[in-house]
Amino acid sequence: MPARFDLAKGWRDMRAIAFLTLDTLFWSKKTIFVTVISLLVLGMAVLGRLILSFRWIAAAFTPAQVFGTLMSTAVIHFIVVFVTLFYGTALISDEVEGKTLTYLFLRPIPKPTIMFGKYLALIWISSLLVIPPVLFSYFILYIRGDARPFLEDIGILGKDIGIIFLALLAYGAFFSLLGAWLKHPILAGLLYAFGWEGIVSYLPGFTRKLTITHYVQSIFPHDDIPGALAMLLGERTGPAESVLTLLLMAALFLASASLVLREKEYILEQ
Amino acid sequence: MTAILEAKGLSKWYGQVIAANKVSFAIGPGVTGLLGPNGAGKSTLMKLAAGQLRPSQGEITLWGESVWNNYPLFQRIGFCPEQDSFYERMTGAEFVATLLRLHGYSESEVARRTETAIERVNMIAARDKKIGAYSKGMRQRVKMAQALAHDPDLLILDEPLSGMDPVARRETIKFVRALGKEGKCVIVSSHILHEIEAMTKNILLMHNGQVLAEGDVHQIRDLIDKHPHHILIRCTEPRRLAEALVGFSDVVSVRFHPEGGALTFESRKPDEFYGRLPEILLRHEIDLGEITSPDDNLQAVFQYLVK
Repeated sequence: MPARFDLAKGWRDMRAIAFLTLDTLFWSKKTIFVTVISLLVLGMAVLGRLILSFRWIAAAFTPAQVFGTLMSTAVIHFIVVFVTLFYGTALISDEVEGKTLTYLFLRPIPKPTIMFGKYLALIWISSLLVIPPVLFSYFILYIRGDARPFLEDIGILGKDIGIIFLALLAYGAFFSLLGAWLKHPILAGLLYAFGWEGIVSYLPGFTRKLTITHYVQSIFPHDDIPGALAMLLGERTGPAESVLTLLLMAALFLASASLVLREKEYILEQ
Repeated sequence: MTAILEAKGLSKWYGQVIAANKVSFAIGPGVTGLLGPNGAGKSTLMKLAAGQLRPSQGEITLWGESVWNNYPLFQRIGFCPEQDSFYERMTGAEFVATLLRLHGYSESEVARRTETAIERVNMIAARDKKIGAYSKGMRQRVKMAQALAHDPDLLILDEPLSGMDPVARRETIKFVRALGKEGKCVIVSSHILHEIEAMTKNILLMHNGQVLAEGDVHQIRDLIDKHPHHILIRCTEPRRLAEALVGFSDVVSVRFHPEGGALTFESRKPDEFYGRLPEILLRHEIDLGEITSPDDNLQAVFQYLVK
């Protein structure tokens, strides 16, 4: 007789798995790399602030323009993808490579709960490494004698944080699926993120809707090249539909990852 | 015997390689040794029993239930895998406690069980050292601690003595025997015969993915009646004894030992051989020093079966 799922126990198990995963992810070499990349955002923000303050470039820029450029070039299209790619694909594949997956699979926990717990850790650590540098960048670029721009654009900052979080959810779930499914998930993830998405998001037609980035661009409050192109072609998806699609994608990819984890047989080679 | 673990027509293959080939057996309480050379399929069988692999064909059940993806069963199973893998950054105690938390125990219960398990494997002194700094033997013991910390009814120990020093080996052997006496079902594997022999008389002999024999060492010997039985005799007149016995049809060979005073017969019908021996000794006035059968040693049984 199948065991009944106890919600409180499920949450407790998920949290235990999340803490264990958080510990292993945080102390992995990946964290050094990801932290350096995240700190680059701050470095770029400092550079932007210097350009604004000392007028190193003749053209007049506003903090909003510099922040928007930073968000589109460095954060949304690069750091979010990199962080989720590195951590998401590692969730299961690192346990397989380290042959520690056996210890998790020997516990009275359904495998989907293990996947959910690991995903929770992924979102937790990704948010910790991506969102604070964005907040600090906003402060660095906007803080000056006149507080009005800071206060006026704070709504955009909130929207940016929300979009980053949605992107983390969707990309995180997708790369978790690759990690649970494939033997070389990083390669497949790189091909997807910088091959498929890089090409398809510039193409007109329906295919661009087969990317995560399309829905992120559709709700992105700043101008970026693929976003501007999409707007020119009139192919942006509505904000509500985009948010919903990103959430559905995250749920679908996470459910698929859980199913793969449950059904796949992991042969830990001696 | 009440079967705890049962395999029926169980096969497991990895691509073209067959690791377990239509294996059927049943294991009850007590210690059972899984014996076979490297590559015999022992680890595969243990992983199947521990629900870490899915059978390619046939079935394997624990307490009558299929193991694969049956997560409630894992509260009753402890598995010490062969692979030397850990969360290296953790200390031994953290490792055991972390895995215990996944059983849903409260923090106080986790702490209590961790202490008990660490103590049972004699790791108190090294409990707070990083696993990365442990010796091979200590790593083996921590692996055992995580397997038994939740007090499972079934313990599956894959090569638990590998890498242990002689003292730790002796303690572990004693410990495994004690678990068996407690009424736990313990399945322990090794490719070293005397290790298994020290832990149990109840064995499952594997070779090339097949179970060649199962049961008591003596019962297994009975199964292999096609192989001649060795009988070592120490006596005062070995040559006269050889002369008297070599004419019987069941005696295949006689070998004199270089140190003198001893000879080994090979007989196809050991019962008949033992039956006629007293009369011949009396008739030829030969004093008997010792009579033993080297075949009772597991090594001999194993060598016969894998020939």
